[in-house]
Amino acid sequence: MMTSSGHLATKNTTNTAIKIDKLNKWYGDHHVLKDVSLDISEGEIMVVCGPSGSGKSTLIRSLNHLEDYQEGVVSVFGQPLSRDRQSHKIIHQTMGMVFQNFNLFPHLTVLQNCTLGLTWLRKMSERDADKMAMRLLDRVGIAQLATRYPGQLSGGQQQRVAISRSLAMEPKIMLFDEPTSALDPEMVKEVLDVMIDLAKTGMTMVCVTHEMQFAKQVADRVVFMADGEIIEVGPPEQVLVNPQWDRTKEFLQHVL
Amino acid sequence: MDDLNVKNPPALKQFIPTPPRPPRQSKSGIFGTIRQRCFNSIGNSVLTLCVVAVLFYLVKHVLDWAVFNAVFIADNRRQCMDISPDGACWAGVISWFNGLIYGRFPVDEQWRVNVGVLLGLVWLLPLMSKRIPLRNVILLSWIGLYPFVGAYLFLGGRFGAELGWIHGVMTCLALAFLTIIYVNWILSALGKKGLNELFVPLVSRFVERRIHLLSFVAVWLLIALVMALVLNQVSLEPVAIERWGGLFLTFIIASFAITMAIPIGVVLALGRRSKLPVIHWLSMTVIELVRSVPLITVLFMAVTLLPIFLPADVEFNKLAQVLVAVCIFAGAYMAENIRGGLQAIPKGQYEAAATLGLGYLHTMALIILPQALRMMIPNIMTSFISLLKDTTLVSIIGLFDIMLMARNIANDKDWVGMHTEPLVMISVLFFLFCYSMSQYSLTLEKRLKVDR
Ligand SMILES: Nc1ncnc2c1ncn2[C@@H]1O[C@H](COP(=O)(O)OP(=O)(O)OP(=O)(O)O)[C@@H](O)[C@H]1O
Ligand SMILES: [Mg+2]
Repeated sequence: MMTSSGHLATKNTTNTAIKIDKLNKWYGDHHVLKDVSLDISEGEIMVVCGPSGSGKSTLIRSLNHLEDYQEGVVSVFGQPLSRDRQSHKIIHQTMGMVFQNFNLFPHLTVLQNCTLGLTWLRKMSERDADKMAMRLLDRVGIAQLATRYPGQLSGGQQQRVAISRSLAMEPKIMLFDEPTSALDPEMVKEVLDVMIDLAKTGMTMVCVTHEMQFAKQVADRVVFMADGEIIEVGPPEQVLVNPQWDRTKEFLQHVL
Repeated sequence: MDDLNVKNPPALKQFIPTPPRPPRQSKSGIFGTIRQRCFNSIGNSVLTLCVVAVLFYLVKHVLDWAVFNAVFIADNRRQCMDISPDGACWAGVISWFNGLIYGRFPVDEQWRVNVGVLLGLVWLLPLMSKRIPLRNVILLSWIGLYPFVGAYLFLGGRFGAELGWIHGVMTCLALAFLTIIYVNWILSALGKKGLNELFVPLVSRFVERRIHLLSFVAVWLLIALVMALVLNQVSLEPVAIERWGGLFLTFIIASFAITMAIPIGVVLALGRRSKLPVIHWLSMTVIELVRSVPLITVLFMAVTLLPIFLPADVEFNKLAQVLVAVCIFAGAYMAENIRGGLQAIPKGQYEAAATLGLGYLHTMALIILPQALRMMIPNIMTSFISLLKDTTLVSIIGLFDIMLMARNIANDKDWVGMHTEPLVMISVLFFLFCYSMSQYSLTLEKRLKVDR
């Protein structure tokens, strides 16, 4: 699906893509993120796992301001984000996101879903936008479905469209919030394959997922969260095979 | 997953799907179906016979009155009575037919009404075809430009004089736009390039971006100029607004209200959801106030109160006041329809739009409203239908719409006391319009559902 040059892309681990510093969030009195700090380097593949309700979605959605937080700072490529226009611009220029339930626009065709941002925000001509979108759709293997509507696609196909739609805006960082959890087992693989290919191109990726196989295969580091805290961070061999904390071990016994 | 691998799998049975089989068809034909559905038991048979008898009785009486015993040619009501005392007297309706349709519009100028209405319909015709590109633009052009053409035809006067030169310019632009739409349609059917591409080679010599848009504007202006030169020679007999009436006036009010209802409704609905308290409360007040008083009150208020708020020297005719009132009324109802649609849009759509970087206006215009409006087509169409019927209330404040014209027939000395026939005739007319609207809404729904 993807060119072999992606395999050779060396990872530049000197730059920090995202720096999360003492993030705290409350829902009313419910403390859902507790002093979360984490650095993610450029080109790094970070997998976030943990039991349900541990705050994984809240954390990843705080990064692109889909979720408000009360304390702490998130910096992207050295720029601390706030609530102003400038920060919004940085977020939209650098981050794309893929959701658990796809969130495709049902009234637009697959192609239109992908070209929407290009024509309206980038002011690209329709021809160029179509060309670019078709290239991306081809990359995820669904170019032949470009004129269909999302409702006419399977879950796996929809999620691949969603990935192309995000990629069309040329983000530097991709956020995935359980991209395969709403899929039938047969379709999980086709989406994971796309993500693995994407990882090989040197994209910075933050993935919330329960697919431990995927984590072992491509993750540079795995974060384990429980009760709003990061308990363990480290390479997958360490966290997934040889965890230091009982909480992690317990979770892994359930998932693996 | 990998631990499912078994060392030596036993020979697997091959799965062969059962060949498909066509569904069973009923061979009994129409009579068989009737017998199956209507006469399948004694009770059902009795019921069927009763219903048929009642229907026969009703239809016979209606037909007797409306057709067989009716009088179509007579000079006055007395003659009608003499010929057939218990039949309808359509002669009166026929002799007043012109008034019912055109109100008191001068007979010699009525062709202008026909041409105007026809132009409006012709303009909208391309919307029916799925193959025509940019149908939204055509619809917008109709909303923005057609009123100028219509107003010129209906009001008349020397071109550009009575209605002002701005109006004249807009009329020319409108007619030029319509010409481009149709010439392009024909050209594309012939497989040729559109008219708007005519200047592309020329324009591309001077600029690099937006070549196609500029070429289109150039062609548009050129045709408009030609139109202006032609129309400059034209002078139509002026017709005062007070002489507009009949079905024609009903149409004007209803189509104005229908086209304005959606934009006003969208603004009010979005305003009501706004986080800014001033906008929120303002929209809410307008919606709740207007929704909780009857249309008649709104109409009366528009006619009596509006002039008080306006400076004394602003002359505001009754029709304009009524149009404003009906628009606000329709908009407030539409706002609640649209709000219902907005609430049904899942949060994920907003989040997806936000992560792409779309701002509020883009998100609403491209993602949320198209879905919300589609979802609400049945409700919106219901509002439109009741709006069309509600417009007949303007007769109460003295506009000569079809209702008032109908009541006038009974005051005519030749047709004194003839109330029933005009009302029946209006009912039939309105049924035709409303029924076609609801049928159209059904096809629209079906067509848009195919997209999903
Ligand atoms: N809108 C909300 N209002 C109140 N509490 C919330 C809200 N959203 C999430 N929470 C709470 O915040 C905590 C973290 O939620 P979050 O969705 O981040 O968990 P998660 O790790 O993504 O779980 P899952 O694996 O089930 O998706 C949970 O305890 C949840 O109950
Ligand atoms: Mg979650």
